Amino acid sequence: MDAPVEGEGGGPRWLILIYHLPREPSRHRVAVWRKLKALGALYLQDGVAALPEDAFTREQLEWLQLRVREAGGEATLWEALPNTVAEGGALVEEFRASREAAYRGLMEAAERLRRRAALGAPGAPLLEELAKVERLFRAERRRDYFRSPLRKEAWESIRATRQALREDPGAREGVG
Amino acid sequence: MLWATRRGCHVDRTACVWLIRRHLDAAAEFLFFRDPSEAPDGAELFDVVGARLSHRGEDCSFETFLREYALDDPVLREISEIVHDADLMDEKYGRPESEGLDAIVRGMQIALPDDETLTRHTDVLYDGLYAYLRREVS
Repeated sequence: MDAPVEGEGGGPRWLILIYHLPREPSRHRVAVWRKLKALGALYLQDGVAALPEDAFTREQLEWLQLRVREAGGEATLWEALPNTVAEGGALVEEFRASREAAYRGLMEAAERLRRRAALGAPGAPLLEELAKVERLFRAERRRDYFRSPLRKEAWESIRATRQALREDPGAREGVG
Repeated sequence: MLWATRRGCHVDRTACVWLIRRHLDAAAEFLFFRDPSEAPDGAELFDVVGARLSHRGEDCSFETFLREYALDDPVLREISEIVHDADLMDEKYGRPESEGLDAIVRGMQIALPDDETLTRHTDVLYDGLYAYLRREVS
């Protein structure tokens, strides 16, 4: 991930997508919402989504803008700097908080798998579930624009679970 | 023929460059611009908003190339699924290769910031992917 472009106050510069889509068919609204969620964008209001600016987010939002227009909607893409350092800081914190919630969920999932292994649950399905948790972690990391402090902790928890499952003899049943 | 696209190529554009060189125009020349207004008249723009060879609906530019040039090679179709998933990250085709390809090309972009140099190297990567998939698909 490119480092976000810094604005004058030292905070990042933002990209704001403002869009409106016809109510029907709803699949376009759902697709755009899903894409923004996958990018880790934050909705400032209905139809107004923000991401820190870098080459990657800019490109993704440009394509999304095109998609909205192709679907018969309207979309404009803006570069923005919050008016005060405090407002910018609050936005960064909100981004971090949303990633932290996700990391916490993944850590809990990893711990649950570790406990189930300790209680003697068969290992192969646990490893499959863990692979899903690992994939979600990598997706989370890609949209963790401000490097949440929980990233490392979540990674270590997931690694520890993998190691525990591999050491559990039941885990290798039916594998290989 | 002169082909032009934006600077800072990632999976979709590096794959399009490879496709052009290997399957459409062996003598292709490329221009990587900062802004579309820098592209000379007569250059064929790709992966640029508003161009003929660009994203369309759910499709990434590589998929649009296959359709526009009626390339119905099943190996290219498989590559287009991987490129799509790496570019759009919507898991439309559930291709696990896309995550690795995304990581490798992102890293190559950092190591080789010049797009001409980058694409000379990614060409080899896609040659390898093609050779591998040809064996798997047929």
